[in-house]
Amino acid sequence: MKVDRRSFLGLGLGAAAGVAVTPATWKLMDDSSIWTQNWPWTPVPPAGEATYDNTVCSLCPGNCGIMVRKIDGRPVKIEGRSDYPVNAGGVCLHGISAIQYLYDPSRIKAPLKRENDTFVEITWDEALDMVAERLTEIRASGSADKIACVTDQTKGTIPGLFARFLKATGSNNVYAMDTMEKTWEITLEKIHGGRSSAGFDLENSDFVLSFGAGLIEGWGSPVKNFKINSSRKERGSTLVQVEPRLSNTAANADVWIAAKPGTEADLALGIAGVIIKESLFNSAFVTASGKGFQELAAVLGKNYSPEAVAQTTGVKAAKIIEIARDFARSSAPIAIAGRGRGMSAGSVREFSAVHLLNCIVGNINTKGGVWTLAAQDYEKWPAVEMDDLATAAFEQAPLDSAGSMAGLFTNAGKEKNIEALLIHQANPCFALGDAGSVTEAVKKIPFVVSFSSVMDETTQEADVILPGHMLLERLEDRPSGAGVAQRVTGLSRPVIEPLFNTKNPGDTLLELARKMEGTIGASFPWESYEECLEAVTGDLWAELSDQGYAAETATPPGGGVKVDFSFIVKSQAPVEMEGEAKDFPLVLVPVDNVRISAGSLISSPFAIKTVSDNVLKGKDLLVEINPETARANKLSHGDLAVIETPKGKATVRVNLFEGIMPGVVAMAKGLGHVLDNNKYVGGKGVNINELMGPIVDPVSGLDAAWGIRARLSRA
Amino acid sequence: MSELEEKTENGSTDASGQDASREQGKKGDAATGYGVLFFIGAFAVCFLSGWLLFPNLLYSKKEQPFNFNHALHVDEMGGCDACHFFREDGSFSGMPKTSQCIECHESQLGDTKDEEIFITEYVEAEKEVPWLIYSEQPDCVFFSHAAHVIKAGMDCRSCHGDIGTSTTTKTYEENRITGYSRDIWGKNIWGIKKNSWDRMKMDDCAECHERETGSKGACFQCHK
Amino acid sequence: MKQDNHGKNHKYGMVIDLDKCTGCGSCMVACMSENNVPFKEDETRKKDSITWMRVYKLTNGKPFPETEICYMPRPCMHCGGKGDHGHSPCVSVCPAVATDYDHSTGIVSQIYTRCFGCRYCMGACPYHVRYFNWWDPKWPEGMENYLSPDVSPRMRGVVEKCSFCFHRYQQAKDRAYVEEREEIEEQEYQTACTQACPAGAITFGDLNNPDHAVHQMVKPDPHACGKPRNPKAFRLLERLETNPKVYYISERDWVRKAGDNYLEGEWEKVKNNHDKGHE
Repeated sequence: MKVDRRSFLGLGLGAAAGVAVTPATWKLMDDSSIWTQNWPWTPVPPAGEATYDNTVCSLCPGNCGIMVRKIDGRPVKIEGRSDYPVNAGGVCLHGISAIQYLYDPSRIKAPLKRENDTFVEITWDEALDMVAERLTEIRASGSADKIACVTDQTKGTIPGLFARFLKATGSNNVYAMDTMEKTWEITLEKIHGGRSSAGFDLENSDFVLSFGAGLIEGWGSPVKNFKINSSRKERGSTLVQVEPRLSNTAANADVWIAAKPGTEADLALGIAGVIIKESLFNSAFVTASGKGFQELAAVLGKNYSPEAVAQTTGVKAAKIIEIARDFARSSAPIAIAGRGRGMSAGSVREFSAVHLLNCIVGNINTKGGVWTLAAQDYEKWPAVEMDDLATAAFEQAPLDSAGSMAGLFTNAGKEKNIEALLIHQANPCFALGDAGSVTEAVKKIPFVVSFSSVMDETTQEADVILPGHMLLERLEDRPSGAGVAQRVTGLSRPVIEPLFNTKNPGDTLLELARKMEGTIGASFPWESYEECLEAVTGDLWAELSDQGYAAETATPPGGGVKVDFSFIVKSQAPVEMEGEAKDFPLVLVPVDNVRISAGSLISSPFAIKTVSDNVLKGKDLLVEINPETARANKLSHGDLAVIETPKGKATVRVNLFEGIMPGVVAMAKGLGHVLDNNKYVGGKGVNINELMGPIVDPVSGLDAAWGIRARLSRA
Repeated sequence: MSELEEKTENGSTDASGQDASREQGKKGDAATGYGVLFFIGAFAVCFLSGWLLFPNLLYSKKEQPFNFNHALHVDEMGGCDACHFFREDGSFSGMPKTSQCIECHESQLGDTKDEEIFITEYVEAEKEVPWLIYSEQPDCVFFSHAAHVIKAGMDCRSCHGDIGTSTTTKTYEENRITGYSRDIWGKNIWGIKKNSWDRMKMDDCAECHERETGSKGACFQCHK
Repeated sequence: MKQDNHGKNHKYGMVIDLDKCTGCGSCMVACMSENNVPFKEDETRKKDSITWMRVYKLTNGKPFPETEICYMPRPCMHCGGKGDHGHSPCVSVCPAVATDYDHSTGIVSQIYTRCFGCRYCMGACPYHVRYFNWWDPKWPEGMENYLSPDVSPRMRGVVEKCSFCFHRYQQAKDRAYVEEREEIEEQEYQTACTQACPAGAITFGDLNNPDHAVHQMVKPDPHACGKPRNPKAFRLLERLETNPKVYYISERDWVRKAGDNYLEGEWEKVKNNHDKGHE
């Protein structure tokens, strides 16, 4: 048998015909076309029952009520809680991003200890033993007062437990970030006497005069202020924004006044001068409550005439007079201070000059005005038990007399040594001025314990990491603050079992205290943090656990206040910037960009994605300058440039923007993170805190830096 | 055929060469015979494998974690919606969770091997049963049970057939190319359907929609 | 116009008050989180950065201190096309029927498994609302756990865009069905961006329904394909007759003017034309 061409033909034809009368071809065609639509590596999210859990966002002091959408118990989305008294449905982009923070693979998944230059996973028992032993040693050596703790805030039971733990060991060194809240407290104390915090009733005010407060940049309680601002027109309220650049708030305001940066206090005093001179002030209030008013009137009349102030601030005299009249003639005018998001302290001179405006129109402790709020007192702590060691050490002066975190690390770099540092939800190595020096200071501290659940710049310097739960895993009370007049205490509740081997910092501290035994252990008699929270919140607990928050319904306890005008008169020098004008002709100011998180919270991938390419391009940060400034420095849009300040220099690109005062360079805060395991945020841009140092306010002792002299040249 | 070939051969050569060509023709006959043989052989092999082997090769067979008696459960519980119910938000619960099953099956009720597997491997281990779903649609499909069952008043059988009266779980057949269940294309390898539940492809949805509503509907009606 | 089986025809649309928008970016992130929009290491090349909802920054172009800025959120416009016949720019060019116009809701769909990535629709869309997946979406390990089953994650090589959170419409319908209702309430179907906006700048609803806020805000003219009768309202590139379902409102002249490309002197003629309407 010979197989020739025809046989093959037969074979082929036969096969073709055979296949043609079977379904194979047609079925294969259909299947392969479906196959092309299937990408097995594209995730298919599992379906299931949708439920919602309520909790309170703890990412910033705003404390919004949020709902977590879950599918079969798996959190998938964050939404605003519409029945919550703070945010009433809205939610900011960082809050929505909590879902990314929760699942972030770069989270710290178990306790770690430093071994040479790396971190090694250890058990909770080992980690707590290490910390307990070390702290016990420090105490035994008589350096209990050299133990310091930094937290995000001072209010609430978790910061309360930290303070208690430190007191029980014998240290009064508990620090929180310097914020406008602290400066307001000091200002109110100086002017009205007594300790109180400021609450701004912006909702009921019909004229808001803001000296740089970024009401829609995230100032105070961000979403609440967004809402208040957006109802402005319906309420017939006016917003005047004083700021050297057209921020979002300035853009949204009815009037934008570009005063030279650093002259805000002068402008406020000028406006006050006009109000007094034209007898537009509330004389009944001033006469009844004021002290030293005549003296003040004289000083303002002499030194702060509209013309003189126009000279200092660059704002036209007529404009000053106009604003003064509009302000004083409004029925509930309010003046506010605290630049940007209010996450830096600012100068007491500026705050008191601004508050003077509230005082002369008598809008204190009234609807639509500033409230002097007594401290919230729902926390009922039993007395701390202290042994002799603790009692003796606790008497020692704190490491920074003003209680300033900036001061603490400046001192740490100098003569006062910190023996051990506990860090909870704070990132001083990134967020404090002169971050480089702060990092050096932290490196020198022999024992650093971080309670963070993310590897931030400060945690990278830790010796032991006791990772905490994230929001959504964590129980915590969230007391009101951030300048909100109506106080709402929220309860942040776990909506999911912890994803990793982390602990609530409250529980960590309880266990640590028990390991340290003696009076320290005895000061923490609770079985768990939950039990502690329930016991400490006392009467409030039922309401908190029931509806997730407790709101004060009555008007805040304010009442009659005294005003000491003489404090304002005492001539205070303005807080000058670092640097000489002849070397550094420009002024660099930090900018709070609402889409970038600038404090201890690192921006999420979601948030960074929304950042304009005029702020961040590739890995380059863009500084904002007026085209006039650009021309003078021979720069055009997008050019690489070197910005130099007395503190350091960095390579940036320039973004030409008409809405910024010539001579001013604006740089976004919150970029320039150095994070090895976070490629979405790490290594992008420049940290402005590397270019700016702290300046100690003569009154408060807090960091009052608001800008620094700079020069810009083509790279 | 060979006659035809002969004519062609003859026509193509002149008379003087007839012998030679006849010789050639004989050879040609033999070759043609083989060609036919090959044709038939190949046809038969391909035909048979297309019908018998191909469907077996195309689908991999998977067994359910254990056998489930729908008929018994429907009898006991009183209908499909006792276990496959609508949630308050209008979504359809689909495959019951172990937590639902243990309302009755906290411990073993009967004495079947299958229930024993369920109790020991899933109830006690607090695990979900990894059922293979015969009617599972791809991720890009949005199917509203509420629209079909409540709004349009269709019964489960229209799409799911007689699964409710089955006493055993049939073998799950997974298409090796698409990864879909065989029930989507239908048991019949030609995709011929006799009953409305025989096939669950987009055309089947469209056909019914067109018939019942006058329009195939917009894409988003069934896609996500 | 085709009828459907889902009751009367809706025309879902959005009104964005540009004087209220603060540019905070919540809408963008709410959208990304709701719709499984992926992210990558570098998102600063905005042309390939997928944001179904994008907030643009406009300026009036005047020098300091006369400068003004306005933030403009831009979702898909869900164009009805000329005469509202559903011939939106993208739908008309798609060779794969991967995008279609739903006459019962007025929503323009995008079916990822149908799309083969020719990107004609992107070229056709005058609003740049469509995005191409140049890369496979990748979520860092563990983060895929936050993906929602309501929206299919996309794959490399396909186009995607805002769907007006159509799955929320489906969910609202399902709830209505189990409660044996025919129609859904205004509040039952709201997009993720509308819900998240802290400034309340976004309003969403049925433009065909006079009871809905969107209708009352823009007063769409039924005889002029929904052209707003509110003089402060406008649509982007109105003169292209794409007939978008997203309306913007601003008191500011320059902002409304920025909604279209006018020749010199042209704007003055048309700027108050809205008042007259087509009654």
